[in-house]
Amino acid sequence: MATWLQIGSALYLAAALAAAAGVLWPSNRLRILGTWLLGFGTAAHTAAFGVMHAGDPLPLADLATAVSMAVLLANLFLLVSVLRFRRLAGLVALLAPLAFVGTFLSALTLPDRGPDAADAAVLWSHSHVLLGSAGLALLAVAGLAGGLLLVEDRRLKAKRPLRGGVRLPSIEALDRINTAALGLGFLCLTVGVVTGALWVHAREGVYYTGSPHELWTTVAWSIYLVLVLARFLLHQDAREAALSAVAGFAFLVFAVVGVGVAT
Amino acid sequence: MRVLLCGMNHRTAPVEVRERFAVEDPRACLGKLRGRSAIAEAVLLSTCNRVEVVAASSEPAPAEAALRDFFERELAGEAPLPGELDDYLYTYHDGDAVLHLFRVASSIDSMVVGEPQILGQVKQAFREAVEAGTCGPVLSRLFQAGFAVAKRVRSETAVAERPVSVARVAVDLGRQIFESLEGKVALLIGAGEMIEAALHALRGDGLAEVRVANRTPERAAELARRFGGSSHGLGDLPELLVEADVVLSCIGGQAPLLFWEDLAAAVRRRGHRPLFVLDIGVPRNVDPRANELPGVYLYDLDDLSEVAESNTRERRREVLRAEALALEAREEFLAWMHALAAVPTIRRLRARAEAVRRREVERTLRRLDLDDRGREAIDALTRSIVNKILHAPVSRLRALGEEASGLAHLEAARHLFALDDPHAPGAESDRELEAEAGEGRRPAPGAAPARGGDPERERR
Repeated sequence: MATWLQIGSALYLAAALAAAAGVLWPSNRLRILGTWLLGFGTAAHTAAFGVMHAGDPLPLADLATAVSMAVLLANLFLLVSVLRFRRLAGLVALLAPLAFVGTFLSALTLPDRGPDAADAAVLWSHSHVLLGSAGLALLAVAGLAGGLLLVEDRRLKAKRPLRGGVRLPSIEALDRINTAALGLGFLCLTVGVVTGALWVHAREGVYYTGSPHELWTTVAWSIYLVLVLARFLLHQDAREAALSAVAGFAFLVFAVVGVGVAT
Repeated sequence: MRVLLCGMNHRTAPVEVRERFAVEDPRACLGKLRGRSAIAEAVLLSTCNRVEVVAASSEPAPAEAALRDFFERELAGEAPLPGELDDYLYTYHDGDAVLHLFRVASSIDSMVVGEPQILGQVKQAFREAVEAGTCGPVLSRLFQAGFAVAKRVRSETAVAERPVSVARVAVDLGRQIFESLEGKVALLIGAGEMIEAALHALRGDGLAEVRVANRTPERAAELARRFGGSSHGLGDLPELLVEADVVLSCIGGQAPLLFWEDLAAAVRRRGHRPLFVLDIGVPRNVDPRANELPGVYLYDLDDLSEVAESNTRERRREVLRAEALALEAREEFLAWMHALAAVPTIRRLRARAEAVRRREVERTLRRLDLDDRGREAIDALTRSIVNKILHAPVSRLRALGEEASGLAHLEAARHLFALDDPHAPGAESDRELEAEAGEGRRPAPGAAPARGGDPERERR
């Protein structure tokens, strides 16, 4: 798995450099190259997980593997979005460096072996980490798209010309990606929270132990619930939704990753 | 063979002169150019901003005279010009002519730098010359190189990336707000010429549906009919604003037509879809505060002009990069021309043959136990064989080298004898030849770099 992860990591780095150069230069070829490299990196990354499951089964129970899975799912979502919206190099330039850091650290910190696969809690832990990672990944994409939307909205409102030819994705594309990622991400996070509770129950006989991770994740989930309701029921406008997505994701990172590492 | 370019453009001749020289039937004109003996090859480029003839000739002075005569007799017509023809015409030779053509094809010599039409016009001129039989190997190579450099300029620089007309700026802004204008609904407020011009640009980018609202229903209906849309009165604006994605407004009147409250009400009803409002009316038709509404992007005529100005400045900055590519291409083309000259080809052929002969003689002599007399005899024998074999091709190349058809022979000779292959037998002699030639061609230290394309300097 480590070899595939290293290959994926190298490809993500190349994608980050190509996409950033393509956006800043600007060059269409480099932007397209960046997207293709991200695609190849994602393929290598998928192969890494394939190898992991085909060989010695290793549940997604550690932070490094979870981050790696989150990165993979975010990339898959972005690549699917590229099929619909062509001009997403700005997002590739933002996501690829994160993908590189995520996979690089994962490759360095992979555990030698995972917990016993015969354990009854493994199924829930596996599902919890997978879905939680998917939620994190998609909400990360929503946050990044929201961040870019705020930048582009501010520029268009201020009537400032494109600087150095740097062309970000359109407001419409960023808003739709933000909405789709928020909706899907919240769904995954919700199921991830539920499977997390089932995992705790299988292991300790209760659904909630009151650990800092559980507490902060529940708070983050509640905040996302408000964001999703505001977006889908109250028809929040694109700028407000973008602000919410950025703030929500920052809080989620603190709640899940920050608290997880600290404890 | 030499390359010349003679013509006039928007910098050297006013429009009333340029339109006199504009060519309606290029083939007939090319036929007249072909009839002039000093001109071996010719391509005629005629656009609204320039009329130029690119020619290849082995007699540059008579060819230049013939080109000027062509402008005077065939194109100027009978009526007197407002000034002297020589004041409008420029002539470039060799490197300057090549560079000028590359700058033209790359659109860095255009009135609007980076405009896309010129490359198509240059291609069309080349095609017409090929069909008329006035384009030979030199100009074919030159124009192909021009197309290649234009492509590089387009893909490697941002010269053509930013729109510089108000209508194109509007389309470009539309693309920054919407992924594409395809399927979007446009609301036109007013039915004048400005609206129509802007609408043409937006429609060219795929805008789907058009709704026209105007004070005069007849004019609204007329415009709607031409663009396949629906017409409305101004009273329908509140409803139309809810459905529109792009609003294009240019209607007379002193007071704004759309107030902040109108747009705020529409924004509340349209969900979170963005609304792009182009207010090109003077005085403005839309309350400027509407730009503060979420999802509303309001641009008036000054805003659009400012973006266009800024883009023009950016394009000019990119011209330096484009110039560097054109200069690089010019050096490559001149190197090709130089390689095809008869003398360098003959010298290389002889040098390679001599290098092969010398190496083979030395190898043979090492195996034989010969005295000096015997060695000299073998050396003379092989030298004589080589000279006799080379005599015919060298004589023919020399005779044909300065003619148009000679280029094909020179190119064939270089191909058959593998003179451009650095691994062919005898290629080790190339370095000595290149060193000699380089010393002859190299500019003196501190000399001004090669330049071209300044009509003021070149005007004669």
